[in-house]
Amino acid sequence: MKPMLSTDLNAPDATVEKAKIEVKNLNFYYGQSKALKDINLSLPERSVTAFIGPSGCGKSTLLRVLNRIYELYPKQSAEGQVLLDGKNILDRSQDLNLLRTKIGMVFQKPTPFPMSIYENIAFGVRLYEKISKAEMDSRVEQALKRAALWSEVKDKLNASGLSLSGGQQQRLCIARTVAVKPEVILLDEPASALDPLSTAKIEELIDELQADYTIVIVTHNMQQAARVSRQTAFMYLGELVEFDRTEKIFTSPREKRTQDYITGRFG
Amino acid sequence: MSTAQSLHQGRKRKNAVMMALCVVAAGIGLAWLALILGALLYKGLAGVNPAVFTEMTPPPGDAGGLLNAIYGSIVMTVIGIIVGTPIGVLAGTYMAEYGRFSKLTTVVRFINDILLSAPSIIIGLFVYELMVRPMGHFSAIAGAVSLSILVIPVVVRTTEDMLNLVPNALREAGTAIGAPRWVVIRSVAYRAAMSGIVTGILLAIARISGETAPLLFTALNNQFWSSNLNAPMASLPVTIFQFALSPYEEWQQLAWTGALIITLTVLGLSIIARSLTGRREDR
Repeated sequence: MKPMLSTDLNAPDATVEKAKIEVKNLNFYYGQSKALKDINLSLPERSVTAFIGPSGCGKSTLLRVLNRIYELYPKQSAEGQVLLDGKNILDRSQDLNLLRTKIGMVFQKPTPFPMSIYENIAFGVRLYEKISKAEMDSRVEQALKRAALWSEVKDKLNASGLSLSGGQQQRLCIARTVAVKPEVILLDEPASALDPLSTAKIEELIDELQADYTIVIVTHNMQQAARVSRQTAFMYLGELVEFDRTEKIFTSPREKRTQDYITGRFG
Repeated sequence: MSTAQSLHQGRKRKNAVMMALCVVAAGIGLAWLALILGALLYKGLAGVNPAVFTEMTPPPGDAGGLLNAIYGSIVMTVIGIIVGTPIGVLAGTYMAEYGRFSKLTTVVRFINDILLSAPSIIIGLFVYELMVRPMGHFSAIAGAVSLSILVIPVVVRTTEDMLNLVPNALREAGTAIGAPRWVVIRSVAYRAAMSGIVTGILLAIARISGETAPLLFTALNNQFWSSNLNAPMASLPVTIFQFALSPYEEWQQLAWTGALIITLTVLGLSIIARSLTGRREDR
């Protein structure tokens, strides 16, 4: 699988890292139409990778393949390989629910469950673990602290998750994802519905989380990609145009299309 | 006067005329409602006394109450709801969750809509053939079954609609955390749609508590106290029907009072349903 498209992550500084997820020859279809064309890339462990590109380029689609959430809908199908620690998750035998406990996801619009703040977090934990009330309490506290939300909600854990502000709701969703101890966190434009202050908080959080998790973020905000990510994939019309260290993509991209996009000539 | 001004004046006049027509139409609609409610309150309240709730329906010319009819209505409504609600909720759940993209759902929805608008007397006749004839006699259980058949399409419809209003993002979020589909439905989708589904059930209760035709063919009526589900049972609508057509003053008075009781019950349920959906929208 050596050279990947015209890009290479086999650049000296990238190869030292272990790949957490490797995507190989991935094609994706919405019914008949092909949305992803022969994608190859490898996401290094414990770092932030950003997917950028204009609307409809397939960046969210690619993200949604990584935890196979697209399978909620018929007529969507993927072919190729996505290796998580070397094991193909597109394999039929892959247990989807277990896969999703390993690969968490946070969505564009905050999606707190219609239950209390505490329950929002305990819900996911309870699905796969039987732990005592005391352990659960500390688990919830840790998760909320991890998502920098604890100080704001510690006195109202029984209030509805829906009573929080948008930025708080999004951090609650991150806390909920972190609480089930995933290995990878997928973020689908996590800050695009938030105000600048909440956005800054989320970005700070992403920066802290990369110490423990492999993070993939889809964003249409290029400054955001530049701020938070270590490597960036630029996608266009279902193709992976260029994938490299973030500084490289934003300072001296190899491809003309990347150059045009990041300088705002289209998209 | 310039053209623009005269056009403007013309539009204003048209607006005034249309507005007046709308107000008159709304007024006519509301007037009937007010007249009916007024007549019910005026005639019905006159007969409200403890005996209505403690005594059985009397023979002609005697004083009495509606206890057996009220009891019968409650029993048959409750059984109808208990039988019809789970079927309706589960069918609605299938249509909105598991079978959202399936052809079967389209077919079921179409048939359900027909059932929803089917005249209730047809349902009564159907249950008459299905249960009353083979059993050889009228019975409360046949009445309850015919009511449950009326409950199902209402509950199916509201359950499906309410679950469809739950944003897909919420289902995806539940799935993304590793929850199996049935847990997502039970713990996330149902919770989000709860007030709407409950509203549907309340509306179904309101609908069947006033139904007369299906009960005429199934539970018939009973002048006496009977809690035997395998025997004819009195109900408020059928009692009202019988008493209102009678020439006896006491019976006519009881019919008015019974009508008032049903109307107030339905009104109460509608208000509860409204406040539940209202709360949902506030959120």
